Amino acid sequence: MSSSNPTAGAHAHNHGHGHGHDHGHDAHGDHGKYPFLAHHFDTPNQQFESGKLGMWVFLATEVLFFGALFVLYAIMRFKNPEVFSYASHYLDTILGGINTCVLILSSLTMALAVRAAQTNKQRMLVTCLSLTLVGAIGFLVIKYFEYTHKFEVNLKWGQAFYQPATEEAREIVKTAPTPAENPRLAIAAVNPSAGATADPIVPLPPVDRTAIAAPKAGPAGIAPAAMVEESTKPPSLAPVVKDNHILDPSMPPNTHRFFAIYYIMTGLHGVHVVIGVGVIGWILVAAIRGAYSSDYFTPVDLVGLYWHVVDLVWIFLFPLFYLIH
Amino acid sequence: MPEGASNFSGTVDWVFHFINYINYFFFFLVVGLMVYFVWKYRQKGREVYARGPSHHTALELGWTILPTIIVVVIFFMGFRGFVDMKTVPADAYQIDVTAQQWSWQFKYPNGATSADLYIPAGKPVKLVMRSNDVIHSLYIPDFRVKQDVVPGRYTTMWFQADHATGEDDFHLLFCTEFCGKDHSRMNQKVFVLGEVQFDDWVTKQGRWLDELAKNNPDDPTILWKVGGPKLVGRCLSCHSLDGKSGTGPSWGDYDGTGNIWERLDKDKVHKVDGGKPVQDLIGPGRKYETREAYLRASILAPGEVIVDGYGNVMPTFKGQLRDPEVDVLIDMMKNLKDEDGKPNFDSKGKYIGK
Amino acid sequence: MTTLDARSPIAAEAPDNYLTFRRGLLSWLLTLDHKRIGVMYLVAVLASFFVGGVMALLVRTKLLFPGEVTWMTAEQYNQAFTLHGAIMVFLVIIPSIPAALGNFVLPIMLGAKDVAFPRLNLFSFYLWLAGAACAVYSLLAGGFDTGWTFYTPYSTNTTLGGVIPVLVGVFILGFSSIFTGVNFIVTIHKLRPPGMTWFRMPLFLWALYATAVIQVLATPVLGITVALLVIERVFNIGIFDPSMGGDPVLFQHFFWFYSHPAVYIMILPGMGIISEIISVHSHRHIFGFRFIAFSSIAIAIFSFLVWGHHMFTSGQSPLMNVLFSAITFSVAIPSAVKVFNWLATLYKGSISLNTPMLYGLSFLFLFTIGGLTGIPLAVLSTDIHLHDTYFVVAHFHYVMMGSALIAMIGGLHHWWPKMFGVMYSEFWGRIACGLVFVGFNMTFFTQFMLGSQGMPRRYYSYDQIEGMAEAFKMYHHISTGGSYIMALGFVITGIYLLHSLFAGKKAPANPWGGASLEWQCTSPPPHDNFSKTPRVGDCYDFSAVRWDEKQEGYVVDTEAHTASTKNGKGH
Repeated sequence: MSSSNPTAGAHAHNHGHGHGHDHGHDAHGDHGKYPFLAHHFDTPNQQFESGKLGMWVFLATEVLFFGALFVLYAIMRFKNPEVFSYASHYLDTILGGINTCVLILSSLTMALAVRAAQTNKQRMLVTCLSLTLVGAIGFLVIKYFEYTHKFEVNLKWGQAFYQPATEEAREIVKTAPTPAENPRLAIAAVNPSAGATADPIVPLPPVDRTAIAAPKAGPAGIAPAAMVEESTKPPSLAPVVKDNHILDPSMPPNTHRFFAIYYIMTGLHGVHVVIGVGVIGWILVAAIRGAYSSDYFTPVDLVGLYWHVVDLVWIFLFPLFYLIH
Repeated sequence: MPEGASNFSGTVDWVFHFINYINYFFFFLVVGLMVYFVWKYRQKGREVYARGPSHHTALELGWTILPTIIVVVIFFMGFRGFVDMKTVPADAYQIDVTAQQWSWQFKYPNGATSADLYIPAGKPVKLVMRSNDVIHSLYIPDFRVKQDVVPGRYTTMWFQADHATGEDDFHLLFCTEFCGKDHSRMNQKVFVLGEVQFDDWVTKQGRWLDELAKNNPDDPTILWKVGGPKLVGRCLSCHSLDGKSGTGPSWGDYDGTGNIWERLDKDKVHKVDGGKPVQDLIGPGRKYETREAYLRASILAPGEVIVDGYGNVMPTFKGQLRDPEVDVLIDMMKNLKDEDGKPNFDSKGKYIGK
Repeated sequence: MTTLDARSPIAAEAPDNYLTFRRGLLSWLLTLDHKRIGVMYLVAVLASFFVGGVMALLVRTKLLFPGEVTWMTAEQYNQAFTLHGAIMVFLVIIPSIPAALGNFVLPIMLGAKDVAFPRLNLFSFYLWLAGAACAVYSLLAGGFDTGWTFYTPYSTNTTLGGVIPVLVGVFILGFSSIFTGVNFIVTIHKLRPPGMTWFRMPLFLWALYATAVIQVLATPVLGITVALLVIERVFNIGIFDPSMGGDPVLFQHFFWFYSHPAVYIMILPGMGIISEIISVHSHRHIFGFRFIAFSSIAIAIFSFLVWGHHMFTSGQSPLMNVLFSAITFSVAIPSAVKVFNWLATLYKGSISLNTPMLYGLSFLFLFTIGGLTGIPLAVLSTDIHLHDTYFVVAHFHYVMMGSALIAMIGGLHHWWPKMFGVMYSEFWGRIACGLVFVGFNMTFFTQFMLGSQGMPRRYYSYDQIEGMAEAFKMYHHISTGGSYIMALGFVITGIYLLHSLFAGKKAPANPWGGASLEWQCTSPPPHDNFSKTPRVGDCYDFSAVRWDEKQEGYVVDTEAHTASTKNGKGH
């Protein structure tokens, strides 16, 4: 976030060590003393404060960015609580837990790195930044394994969720594609509330699309008694057939939506971790070159703030997805 | 505003006019003062005066509080009208509405359907609405009612119109939520019929084809001559009768191969599904036994065969048209021209033959 | 630094200004100077305005004819109005005042040398270009016809190929807007020179600050919404699409959670400009500074709580409708306060009817209509009738174009001498303003009639049922005629402004007699804005402003100005 101005002809702008200072100097004098000070700031302190406020404001947009998704999560969960408590069983709590620890530790090393920069401890700074980087990459590696496993068993988004993933399931779908023919096939339960305009990949039981079907619940109380009764039943808790979700008769309708929001939220968080790896790597290189000192540590401080927010988001994501069954 | 014609139009119009008078007052106050000040205090030469107060707390509080009071009053007026709109009387006459690109269908308790909306006068009417594809919105300006029709859920609205229009006069009904290409053609008429007349209409509508056949036992052509135009309205939003291009292939001759019936003839080449002649699909032992079977499938399962140059966009009419009605439409396709080759129907589907 | 110290005294009167400071295309493309970035934004925004305007004229011309026309099919019409809306909202009005005028004026008005993060500023300009490029690409990829609101499931179902590129463009434009907002917030907080307290800050800056807060807090929600829409369209995941169990109304909530505050991103800076214009051209202290300033903040806060009033007929619960209706009225109050305060500023002023002031008065007229016609739309029972008709179209054009855009044009005329150091033709300026004003009212006032008669918006034809064409035709004709007059006004504006660049009279530092800081540096301003930290007085205290015959402009006696402020004479 810090800015220097290469076109402002009169100033030299190499990053480098500044000298000891206090903040009382007149404006132009400070520019001579602090090569990192951009021309439109009067004092290093003003520049640092601006960078910090800018980062906080930017983080506010990040919070809103994720906040919108948390609201979406809340609405979806409010509408289909059974889906969330059911589908959560498919997530690997142990891997998720390890990842949580990894991120928390990397947050700690990041905080230590900021401290090291402030106190001019060069070796400590480089070590802590390296550890943070390792933590960030480690998180991504673990996440990669989690994703690949889910992809193998077709725990995906949208229609792909209802593709048979195993030989057994393929066989069943081929020979007896409807639940009427094979009660083991759970897929019948997709979307009773849907307008069903798209043709599903696995054929659904024939429905009369033109008849007015009973809504799940409607305004003006037009939900029929059967539906109301259905909705007051305690939601099914756990999958019976764990590795083959489309064969699981206890799978509630719309389960694919859980995985939609799961991939969107963890994916967006993952993108932020990737960006984190980039910026941490960048300041690590700069730190090895000796760019930071107690005079000038703004980038370290700002990346630190960013990293803490990324961690914080995960602290919310983990329980909301992994620990709700 | 157009002349009101429902139980709501009175209150809505009253609130609307009330707000308008308040608005006129403030508008003329602001603009009047503006013009007066601009004239009175125009700059003379290049003088700069720093006269005039820079603030006046009491005055400013005054013009903060006064609008507050006014809008609170207005809110409650609108609120009361709205509550009435949302409180459906228990004895309301229910009509099911299906919206799809780009037509409306109204279904009455006895199973009768129509493209225009017919309602009984002096009786609360409740519409239960759903959409087959995208969001539509049903709007009857004269009744001051509007409600979006959302796929995946049901929406309702109600109203009561006291004055019968008869079958010659009507109110307009619009779709007001943008729904694609022919959004602006999703308009229909609303007929308000007296109670007896309405009962009569709805009974007849339920078995209008039977009635038509029964009343004209000697004329087998009466079904497509009179029934065709009644049914074809919804087709016409996508298919023209005179060869003009549209969302779907015209029923008329649009590429020199003849009209919809003629171009299916085995001597013609009418390409479908990416270059295949449709004639290969029609015939004994093939996918469709007869031309009629092909046309029937095109209405009830339009995705099965797609005419080249057009997309798979036609919704199914299964459950919306009864079998005899489909037959009438196919008969109409067969009889688009008379023996002399003159068109039997004009571009709006009206019978103009002998 | 010694070099700078040596240059400072010269810089004050040096002919060297930001336009001539460095030359060559690269010096513009890579500039970090907020003034040059502002000018580049201005050029880009005006170019987009031209394209959006042509689309509007196409739409209006089509509507001369009730039925089908051979030169424009229904699909083309739908694409034209969609493009008009999307361009005008995302490429023109949202960036016009903050990014173009704000970028130029904000640091100078504040007394700073630049915005806090010049590189981020340049970056957000290039993001804007990238977003615009996506929009252009979407046309090549097949166009889009979803309306600028992108309602699902139409936007996930439509077969046109331009939907995804344009959504990506909107996403990128959102970030451009966010970064501008971040920059402004930090600049206003941290780069105020000594003496520039919050209550000495010009109201334009208050407005930009409130705008920036909305930009920063609302835009990410739009970003995530269009991202979800792209994902829904590509992968069919079932968030919004009802055929996969999604909820299309949810999209509307998300969309309007941004897009209603976006209305205030458009109008608040316009209100800020009007506060400046009315006060400066009346040569008179703004009336009720604090009420105006706090009403900006109030509007910013309320703007987040009223989005549901776009959805009274959408099928959301009646209770929500009632709540949103009630909260919506709260926005009316700060708006009314502002209008009354501007009016009181005219009282006992010394009003000169320069072109900017004519635009300012037009704003007052048009915004009053735009604001008052918002009331029947906020009232539940009348909105049911008026929603999605031309009444709504007319209302938001009065607010977004008649107010926000007119304020932008007024601001452009107000600061044009400062930006380019030349005066434009006052004569043609007034003529053009008159044409725009008359044309605008002809175009859009008739649409109030159309709307209350029940004419739905986004209609290609209106002849399907007998009686429709007769009912609506006359109004459409007047409306289209008005739009041509308005277009003529804008063309004239473009011509005399361009002409002034090459042949305009040299502008004095202070042509209108303003007392805020931007009038204290030369026209055009030097590269660093201020060679030494400026002395800050009350920017609405005109007692120290005098006409100077020699310079053919006003001068501010800074000694007297700061002194009179200290003595509290200004208040």
